[in-house]
Amino acid sequence: MGHINRDALIAITLLVITGTFFWASFEIREPDYGQLSPAAWPRMILAVLGILSFLMLVQAIKQTPPAVDAPPVDAESTSFVSTLASWRNPIFCFVAFLGFLLALPYLGMLVGGVLFVFVLLTLLGGVSPRLLLVHALVATGSIGAMWSLFTFGLRVILPTGSLFDGRI
Amino acid sequence: MFESLAASAAEVLTIQTMALMMVGVAAGLLAGAIPGFTIAMAVVLTLPFTFSMPAPQGLATMIAVQVGGLSGGLMAGILTGIPGTPSSVATTFDGFPMARGGRPGLALGLGVWSSFFGGTISAILLVSLAPQLARIGLEFQPWDYFMLVMFALTITASLSGKHLIKGLIAGAIGLLVRTVGEDEAAGVARFNFGNDSLLQGFDFIAVLIGLFAFSQLLSDVRDPVAARKSMTQRTTLQARIEHVAALKELFRHWVVVIRSALIGVFTGILPGAGGSVANILAYDQAKKNSKQPEKFGTGTSEGIIAPESSNNAVEGGALITLMALGIPGDVTAAVMLGALLIHDVVPSPSFIRDEPVIAYAIFISFFIANFMMLFLQTFMLRVFVQITQVPMYVVACVILGFCGIGVFALNNVTFDLWTLFWFGILGFVMRNLGFPLAPMILGVVLGNIAELNLSRALAISTDITPFFTRPWALFFLIAALFSCVFPLYQARVGKERWTLLYMPLVCVAISIPLFLMAIQNASVPRGIIGGIAVAAAVYLVWQRWRSGWALASPTD
Repeated sequence: MGHINRDALIAITLLVITGTFFWASFEIREPDYGQLSPAAWPRMILAVLGILSFLMLVQAIKQTPPAVDAPPVDAESTSFVSTLASWRNPIFCFVAFLGFLLALPYLGMLVGGVLFVFVLLTLLGGVSPRLLLVHALVATGSIGAMWSLFTFGLRVILPTGSLFDGRI
Repeated sequence: MFESLAASAAEVLTIQTMALMMVGVAAGLLAGAIPGFTIAMAVVLTLPFTFSMPAPQGLATMIAVQVGGLSGGLMAGILTGIPGTPSSVATTFDGFPMARGGRPGLALGLGVWSSFFGGTISAILLVSLAPQLARIGLEFQPWDYFMLVMFALTITASLSGKHLIKGLIAGAIGLLVRTVGEDEAAGVARFNFGNDSLLQGFDFIAVLIGLFAFSQLLSDVRDPVAARKSMTQRTTLQARIEHVAALKELFRHWVVVIRSALIGVFTGILPGAGGSVANILAYDQAKKNSKQPEKFGTGTSEGIIAPESSNNAVEGGALITLMALGIPGDVTAAVMLGALLIHDVVPSPSFIRDEPVIAYAIFISFFIANFMMLFLQTFMLRVFVQITQVPMYVVACVILGFCGIGVFALNNVTFDLWTLFWFGILGFVMRNLGFPLAPMILGVVLGNIAELNLSRALAISTDITPFFTRPWALFFLIAALFSCVFPLYQARVGKERWTLLYMPLVCVAISIPLFLMAIQNASVPRGIIGGIAVAAAVYLVWQRWRSGWALASPTD
């Protein structure tokens, strides 16, 4: 019996996703017209995706596991902390962008955008009085310029936010 | 033709368009020069700015960014040893040693002028080859188009990473993403899971920005220590481009310029193989054909001329396929396709005939952008030195903010921002799990084209044999099958005997549809090409037989 490695887990996840979509493809309504059913093309793709995921699973299971010494007792917790630390910045970016999206209806694009860039700059760049000033200037300058370009130059109506409705 | 050319010139040669192109080239030069930023990212981010512009103006601006980006990579590569883009990896092999050896001005001059000549040769080929290829493209029927898309996906998957299966999976995921929302033919909802926002499907530009730009920025700031450092620690990067000395050297190696430019153009025509492949191929060829191959890697002129001529020529090749067949040759061409679709222009073999003003505008702006690049490179060198002092996290945060505004401006819908967010996460995860993104992007872009042609083919006839018996469909099917085996061949060449038969088999297999075309269309040239392919196969087998089926080294 082989072992479960990262690629095997990915392949299993892909197979589950493929199965879910395949099941969902039966929800697609069949019209009385046209030669190609609206569900046919997605099912063809899903069939190919399923086969490829299965091949990936087989390939992953066949792979020889790397010979490793038994890890020390606290290695797992240490590696988890270091893994989390190595993903810290991308997680900050996701959380900050999610916050920006959730706040957008209330703060609007200008204030929300400036706040997003400022918060993210501070999370990634660190905090000190000088840095805070630089981050505030960069956030205001860059988003302000871009907002002005879209609003006045390209005549795009960007959301103003319910808190500032009609004022920004 | 001349009327169209005049009309296009009137659209492009305005002060406003010229100014936008100048800004585009400058922005592209900087984007290409900053390690971690890609040309595709710069072009994707330019797209939202071009919505309100007329199509020729918008496309001219995007082409300017693209041409600038292709040349920008050389600045970072030569002065810091870190290639600005994957297209300029080979430039650093000799560019950096030459700069470190006290001739940074000559190295930059060689890079700039090689880029210019490579781009110009490519522009000439674009103007002359695109209409010819479009004429061939007019022969394509839905069965052929469907197979062409399949070939584009398989070759992109096989060329874009070590793992073919992961590449193919990425392509299939891209195709699947495009099926979400209302089916174009019947208007039936698919995979919306009860969410009304999903009925419109994902805006594919938001998907592209998420997959490419958003995920790339996250990768750039992943290391907290590196993200806080300036992009280069060298504070005294100074050089004056030695134009005259570079031109003299370039004319001495004119064969290298032309050969490398041709390699670039033909690599660009091939779907999926972009500048990152072309610059290495051209460098390798220059080394093999040089009288002093041992000097490569120590700061030789040919080592800079070859990659820079080829990587600038790639885009002309990619545009040839896009304009003639409607199939993007690489990710940046896929974004160009998106730009055309936004302006309700659908590239196809009849594109040059139906939309001559836009087509000639693309030709003209490609030429002009190369001259602008030459002019602006000197000035942007100074700006590049300043920009590299800014920490990476500042640049990344600001661009993430721009992404937000730009994506919202696509359709004035907040849902597009959610698309950006989710596809940003997906792109980042896929990158980190070793899935190449290029096949997925092509899948997203080509998904509709494939389904539409499949639908058309089945509307004409429910018989599926034309997918395998029509000459062009068979041609693309054979090419797709061999492209799937290519990564295996590449890994085993020189080690296993079956690889000795790969190239002869390719030649024989490709000759079959060519002979079919020759018979069906009474086309003598195609018969001759088929004959040449068979002769090449026979010659290769004879050569291998003479050497006793000995395994040659992969570099032979």
